[in-house]
Amino acid sequence: MSSHLKAVALPGRKGKGKILEIERLQKVFPMDGGFLPVLEEITFLAESGELICILGRSGCGKSTLLKILAGFVPPSFGKVLIKGTPVKSPGPDRCVIFQEDALFPWLSVRENIAFGLTGRDQSKKSRTLEVERFLELVGLGEFGDYLPHEISGGMKQRVALARVLILKPEVLLMDEPFASLDAQSREEMQNLLLTLWQELAHTILFVTHDVNEAVILADRILLMSKNPGRIREEIRVDLPRPRSRDSSALLNFSRRLYEALRD
Amino acid sequence: MRERHAKMQHSGAWRILPAVIPALFILAWTAVSVTGLIPTYLLPHPLEIAGTGYTYVLGQPGEGPYAGRFLSDAGASLFRVGCGFAAAVAVGLPLGVLSGRLSLIHRLMSTTVNALRAVPGITWLPLAMVWFGIGLRTTVFLVALAAFFPVYLNAAAGARQVNPLWLQAGAMMGVRRLRGTFAILLPGTMSHLMTGLRLGLGISWAYLVLGELTGVPNGLGAVIMDARMLGRIDMIVVGIIVIAVIGRISDQLLQVGMKFCFKSARRTA
Repeated sequence: MSSHLKAVALPGRKGKGKILEIERLQKVFPMDGGFLPVLEEITFLAESGELICILGRSGCGKSTLLKILAGFVPPSFGKVLIKGTPVKSPGPDRCVIFQEDALFPWLSVRENIAFGLTGRDQSKKSRTLEVERFLELVGLGEFGDYLPHEISGGMKQRVALARVLILKPEVLLMDEPFASLDAQSREEMQNLLLTLWQELAHTILFVTHDVNEAVILADRILLMSKNPGRIREEIRVDLPRPRSRDSSALLNFSRRLYEALRD
Repeated sequence: MRERHAKMQHSGAWRILPAVIPALFILAWTAVSVTGLIPTYLLPHPLEIAGTGYTYVLGQPGEGPYAGRFLSDAGASLFRVGCGFAAAVAVGLPLGVLSGRLSLIHRLMSTTVNALRAVPGITWLPLAMVWFGIGLRTTVFLVALAAFFPVYLNAAAGARQVNPLWLQAGAMMGVRRLRGTFAILLPGTMSHLMTGLRLGLGISWAYLVLGELTGVPNGLGAVIMDARMLGRIDMIVVGIIVIAVIGRISDQLLQVGMKFCFKSARRTA
């Protein structure tokens, strides 16, 4: 391992050293007497500030992979290192955006965003300012006092984004976060994510089954196959940013990828 | 939809809606009584009940056998219910939450709890009288025992069913176990906790009367028992109504109190 690279790597700067190392990861689930392999030989690196999409069809184990990276589920074999340290349990350096609504329904939007800050060594005033800043960042400035059940699905995912971004995580793990939104909100959220990513420069691992979404977002796409889940191919998306959704280059890219995914 | 709902809630009809069933009931009762369908020695006329109730609650001691006894009876009963219910909550709620979250505790507790639950509360009465004598301690014991089960079972069910995503979200935001318990688990279980507390408090009143039927000198149950022996049907009915009213008020106070104290009770329960 190039330890000197790590030493000079600044968190949150693009392309400066690897932040996440996944080595020969395997996951098997026990199943009546035998074992069901879910993930096999997963190996990849994530550079600091990279946006990686993990693309695959339902049931290929991509969500399981994300849960292992988050620390919710232990791997059967192999290791996950974040900045050189093995991942053992969930922690605020690897924040997760879930597919379903995981906001606390008894807290207002503002309180949800502030939740992770409580107990941190920070003055109350600077905490309040920080919460307001992130409310604005995700475009919910006027909705701070609303309760989760009073806002739309897209807005809920904005709150979910804000409540973890405020913790300054090294890595953002996103599990099909926009899958249940309508097409328009999904597009808005993708744009918002890109804006925030350019501003805050987190490393993002984004699980999706939507080819277009992957092409619009990713620096790199890890294409997964099923039974057992493996990384079949690694595709660098070298389309210039900002990417226009209807440029012919992007559409071609999507079509080729779609075909690759099918066979 | 919501607006219509809000509008409905401000109308006068909405306000008197809860009184409709009691009013119809009293009307039917009066009719039955006036026509002599049921003789008054079985069911006295509502006005007679009202008179007895008035004397019981507001009368001067000495005006009659039950005059003015209300405050001391209600006070004694409230104290017994309060002690028993508090004991049930203090033990049942934490134990229930634990057993909902930890399979070890669940396995340890569930057979015993469900076996004890199958025993009708009244079965404990003879034993309790031998153990604790007649009076406060027997009543508190019965109330605590009876209220324990709904509090425990609902807390356990709620803690077991709490959305796992909330706990995962807490863990990934770096929330430790202690804060997770008080800031996520308990608020997330609140609607179940409320159900358990309300059922527990309700059943507390039932077992209060049972405990007081054993011959204690004061308390609402004691008055009812005493009236039965003296053949004062009117006083029995007054006792029943007083317990219904106090039970209803205590349930509402419980809800208001919980909502005052906990955000999660205000917003989700």
